[in-house]
Amino acid sequence: MTRDRESTWGRRLGGDSLAYVDSQIYTDPALFERELERIWGRSWLMVLHESELPEPFDFRTTTIAREPVIVLRGEDGVVRAFLNKCPHRGSLLLREPAGNLRQASPSGGPRHITCMFHAWQFDAAGQCTSIPRRKAGYQDRLTCAQVTLREVACEVAYGGFVWLHLAPNPAPLRDYVGEAFDALLPHLASEPLEIFHHHKTVVRTNYKLWHETNSEFYHDYMHHFNRVTSMQQPGYFDRRYDAYPNGHVTISSMVVKYTAYEHGERSLADSRELSFPGLEPNGWKLLDLFPGTAVNLRGSALRIDTMTPLSVDEVLIEFRGLGLKRDTPEERARRVRDHNTIWGPFGRNLPEDLLGVVNQGLAMRPHGEPLNLLHAREEGRSIHDEHGVRAYYHEWSRRMDHALAAE
Amino acid sequence: MEIDELIYTGCLLQDAREFNAWLELTAPELTYRIQAYSPEIRRAMTWLEHDRAGLAALFELTPKHHVDHAQWHRHASLYKLRVDDDRAQALTSLVVHHTLVDVGDTHRDSGSTRLFAVGRYRDQFRLHQGRWLLSDRTVELDTRQLGIGSHTIV
Repeated sequence: MTRDRESTWGRRLGGDSLAYVDSQIYTDPALFERELERIWGRSWLMVLHESELPEPFDFRTTTIAREPVIVLRGEDGVVRAFLNKCPHRGSLLLREPAGNLRQASPSGGPRHITCMFHAWQFDAAGQCTSIPRRKAGYQDRLTCAQVTLREVACEVAYGGFVWLHLAPNPAPLRDYVGEAFDALLPHLASEPLEIFHHHKTVVRTNYKLWHETNSEFYHDYMHHFNRVTSMQQPGYFDRRYDAYPNGHVTISSMVVKYTAYEHGERSLADSRELSFPGLEPNGWKLLDLFPGTAVNLRGSALRIDTMTPLSVDEVLIEFRGLGLKRDTPEERARRVRDHNTIWGPFGRNLPEDLLGVVNQGLAMRPHGEPLNLLHAREEGRSIHDEHGVRAYYHEWSRRMDHALAAE
Repeated sequence: MEIDELIYTGCLLQDAREFNAWLELTAPELTYRIQAYSPEIRRAMTWLEHDRAGLAALFELTPKHHVDHAQWHRHASLYKLRVDDDRAQALTSLVVHHTLVDVGDTHRDSGSTRLFAVGRYRDQFRLHQGRWLLSDRTVELDTRQLGIGSHTIV
C-alpha cells in the first residue's frame, strides 16, 4: 500500500462535506449500555399485535432492554403489561412465549399468574391475591394489598398494535409518534388486522444496521427481486423520505410490478386486487419508527419488524405478517403466500437482507479498526437519498448526547 | 424404485442441488409446502408453498439471488409407511445439517457443520406406470430459528 492510499483510508470519504458516522457507534460496548438506558428504556416500543391476545387472560412474554415483560389481556378486555418478575424473590413468573391464564399452573389455580417458586399469586391486573402461609411467616408485617407487579406503560393504538414504555409515567404515545403514522393509518386502522406470521432470528450484528437496512433503499442493488419489480419500474425514483420528530421516517408510495419478476405471475400477480383498505393494488408504503421498528405495507401483506438488542453485536429480530381479520380463507392464503414469497424465512429477499447485515457485523467488530461510514447520498430526499438514516442519527445523537453521529 | 429408496434418493439429489433431477421423482400434481407451528402466536404457519411448476421456477431463479452456499446434509429416517394399492403415505423424520462455506465468519467457520433444522416429511405417493412418484410433501419444521433463512427447499 502506498503512503497516499494508507492515509486516504483513515480519512473521511469526501472530506467534511459528506455526512458520516464513526463505526464505533456499532461496536462500542459502553455505548451500547447507554443505548439500552437512554433509548430502549425510554422509548415507546411496538412489541406485538393485539390479535396475539384475542381472549381474556391471553398473555405474551417478551423482553425490553433486558427486562422480562408480560403483556396480558385482562378479564375486562384491557391489555396491560407488567415486569415478568415476582416481587418476592425475583423469579421469572411466566415462562411460555404465549398462553392463557385460564389454565391452572402446577403451583396455583387458574386465572392467576402464579410464581412457581413459592406459589405467590397475582391476578390479571397485577395485584397479589395469595401469599402461602402469609400470616405464619410475615404476621401483620406484610399483606397482599401491599404487593403488586410492576406495571409497564402500555397502549394499544395505530392499527391495534401494543406499545410499551419501560419508564414510569411516559409522555403519551401520540406525542412520541406524532404525525409519522398519518400516511399508513387509513390502511391499518379502518378495520381490524390479524396476525398470520411470526418468526425470529438472532443475528450477529449491531441493531442499528438492521434499522438502516429498513431505512435506505440504495441497497436495492442487492436484490434481484427489487431490481426488476421496483428499481426498473416507473415511479421508483419518485418515492420520497419524510422525517418526523423523534427520529421516525416515512417513505411515500409506489406501485410494485410483481409481474416483472420472472415467474412472479405464478405466485404474486393474482394478488393485484387484494390489498388493504384505501391502498392501491400493489401499493407500497413504509414507516421506520425510532429506535428499531419497521412497518412495511406492500401489496397484500403487512410486515412488521421489531428488534430486541442483545449486545453491541447481537440482535434478536422478530418478523410479523398481518392481514385483515375479515379475510376469507382464500384471501388469507394469498396474503400468506405473498408475504412469505418475499419476506418469509424461505423468501426471496429476507435472507439477502440478513446476509447483508451479517456481513456488516463481521466487518465491524468490537475493538476492530474504526471506519467513517457514509450516510451522505442527497437526491432531493428521493429513494436513494439517505435522508432517513441521517434523521435517525440526528435523534440518536440527541438522545445519547454523543457527537460522533452524522450532522 | 421403492418408496423408501425414493425418499432417500430425493435427499441425496437435493443435497447435491440436483433439484431438477429431484423433480423427476415427483408427480405433475405435486404440492410442496413448508410449515411450522408458532407457540408465540399460537398458529400454524405456511412458510413456502408451490406446485411443481412453481418449484421449477424457484430453482431457475435461485442462482440470480445471493445465496448461502453451505453444503446441506439431509438425514431422513422413514418412520411410517402405508401402502393402499396405487397410493401410499409416509412419515419421515428429518434432520438437516449444513456445513458452512460463505455465511458468517468464513475464515473461522467455513468447514464447520451446524444443525439447520429438524422436522418431518409428511408425504403422499402415487403409482404411475409401475413407478412411485411423490405427489404431495409437507415439511413440518420444529425448528423456527433458521439464521438468515434459505433460498433452498428443505
